Amino acid sequence: MNNKLSREEVLHVAELAKVRIKEDELEKYQIDLGKIFNDIAKIDDVSGYDDAIIISPFHEDARLRDDEEVEEVLVSDILKNVPCHSGNYIEVPVVINE
Amino acid sequence: MSKYLDQSILVIHELLKSKKIKPIDLVLEAYERIEENKDLNLFITLNKEEALKEAKLLEDMEVDNLLFGIPIALKDNIVTKDLKTTCASLMLANFMPIYDASVVLKLKKRHMIVIGKTNMDEFAMGSSSRTSYFGAPHNPWNIEKVTGGSSGGSAGVVAARIVPFALGSDTGGSIRQPASYCGIVGMKPTYGRVSRYGLVAFASSLDQIGPMTRNVYENALLLNAIVGMDSKDLTSVSLEKEDFTRFIGEDICGMKIGVPKYFMSDIVSIEIKEKMENVFSLLKEAGCIVEYIDISYIEQAARLYQVIAMGEASSNLARFDGIRYGYSCKDPKDIDDLYYRSREEGFGEEVKRRIMVGSYLLSGENAKKYYDKAMSVRSDIRTSFLDAFKKYDLLVGPTTVSCACDIAEDMSDPLKGFMDDVLVIPVNMAGLPGLSLPIGFSKEDMPIGMHIMANDFDEATIYKLASFIEEKLALDLCPRGGNYHE
Repeated sequence: MNNKLSREEVLHVAELAKVRIKEDELEKYQIDLGKIFNDIAKIDDVSGYDDAIIISPFHEDARLRDDEEVEEVLVSDILKNVPCHSGNYIEVPVVINE
Repeated sequence: MSKYLDQSILVIHELLKSKKIKPIDLVLEAYERIEENKDLNLFITLNKEEALKEAKLLEDMEVDNLLFGIPIALKDNIVTKDLKTTCASLMLANFMPIYDASVVLKLKKRHMIVIGKTNMDEFAMGSSSRTSYFGAPHNPWNIEKVTGGSSGGSAGVVAARIVPFALGSDTGGSIRQPASYCGIVGMKPTYGRVSRYGLVAFASSLDQIGPMTRNVYENALLLNAIVGMDSKDLTSVSLEKEDFTRFIGEDICGMKIGVPKYFMSDIVSIEIKEKMENVFSLLKEAGCIVEYIDISYIEQAARLYQVIAMGEASSNLARFDGIRYGYSCKDPKDIDDLYYRSREEGFGEEVKRRIMVGSYLLSGENAKKYYDKAMSVRSDIRTSFLDAFKKYDLLVGPTTVSCACDIAEDMSDPLKGFMDDVLVIPVNMAGLPGLSLPIGFSKEDMPIGMHIMANDFDEATIYKLASFIEEKLALDLCPRGGNYHE
């Protein structure tokens, strides 16, 4: 990978992350991401390791909670943090074109 | 001004028990100290009204444990019901949690009093707390220096003697590194030891909450209070109850201590290595065996951490979409505009950069090429550590390669932060417990920390060694002219 990412590469990565990048920030991200990816690419040189992977340091079998109904949170409480809602419904911009 | 909070926790407990003081005296004193240390910018949110109310309520109750009525500060990524939890981000600047994290419930069960939420790196991403949306906290030892991070505020409030206890979180050294920079004791417990329920997730396979305190005994005491299996965190581990203070003060003669060669290599400053050499001499004099060892792939740990932590962060932070909670952009054109603009405006630069890197690393073929490979090598690092613990009781080294840098120092190198944490990250990769203990000061009078690492769930042995060194060195660890302890 080159030291600096292309504009298109940065925009692609931003798209994956669902982050918008302003035009005047692009150059900095081209340099910063290039540096990080270059460094990460060095793990290609690591060899001799075992193929076993570690998901979590300890394996615990899945535990189920007791099969009892509990009231964890109230809808009214949840709605306090919702930026936009109508009654008990969370409002979002239209997602389906007619 | 009263000075009860300078006393040891045992003395404070006796004063409370004998009704010579009340919890409200401690709370008022803590807020006086906050006011006096306002220039350090250590808190994001204070909880004064509720803390005073709680202290009043405790007056009629029996003082039934050592932590009863003691003020504590919490890192601002640990959710607290009806007390803002911002993660030092504009994204959550007005977020009011509707439940308490499991650790908070445990503290409340012991009747500790939460006095406020501490400053930190935004979403715990950083190593100097300078990525905070609310401005950087300052180091009580020198206001021009960083506290370290990401639990910089928690380290600072304990160092400045505002409160005896704080909680931090540690994903790649975020408790131990600021503890080292601020001259306090910070423990990252074994992964699974403490419930993560209610800790705003950064990298789920690495995150762990832990105690930050003035001394070793109080650290063990706070760990006693927060451990335990939690049905709400499937990675928390069910274990027999134990008292982490039980080995404190015991003879360390015959202990076998390994020093990973990498921890004493050229990457570490000479004055820090000298301080470590002094400690090695101390340990040998006490009858310990100290030997240099190799740990496989340890020099790759920071790089692997970037892959794993950023990959997991990109997934965990996908929830911030401007819809259910958190920052939401004004007048979005459509749903995509809402997502993209809320994240663009709500996240700071470091967080956006890490999410971008993580998203890329987990996309398509990259997941196998980078993430899976990192997880494989991580497995080998863990195995290598576990092999070392077949021969050694503990491993030790410096906590950091240098002391706290200037707040004004350039932050433009995106890799610098990871290099600051190069000695603490391996412990997170292996899931092991690690503690930073103050062992002296640099020529600039900044604290130097020693890192003690143990086998899975062997925190008690760490405290045993740490308490021995603490007693032998008997350092004066009160900054700002020692204004509270003359």
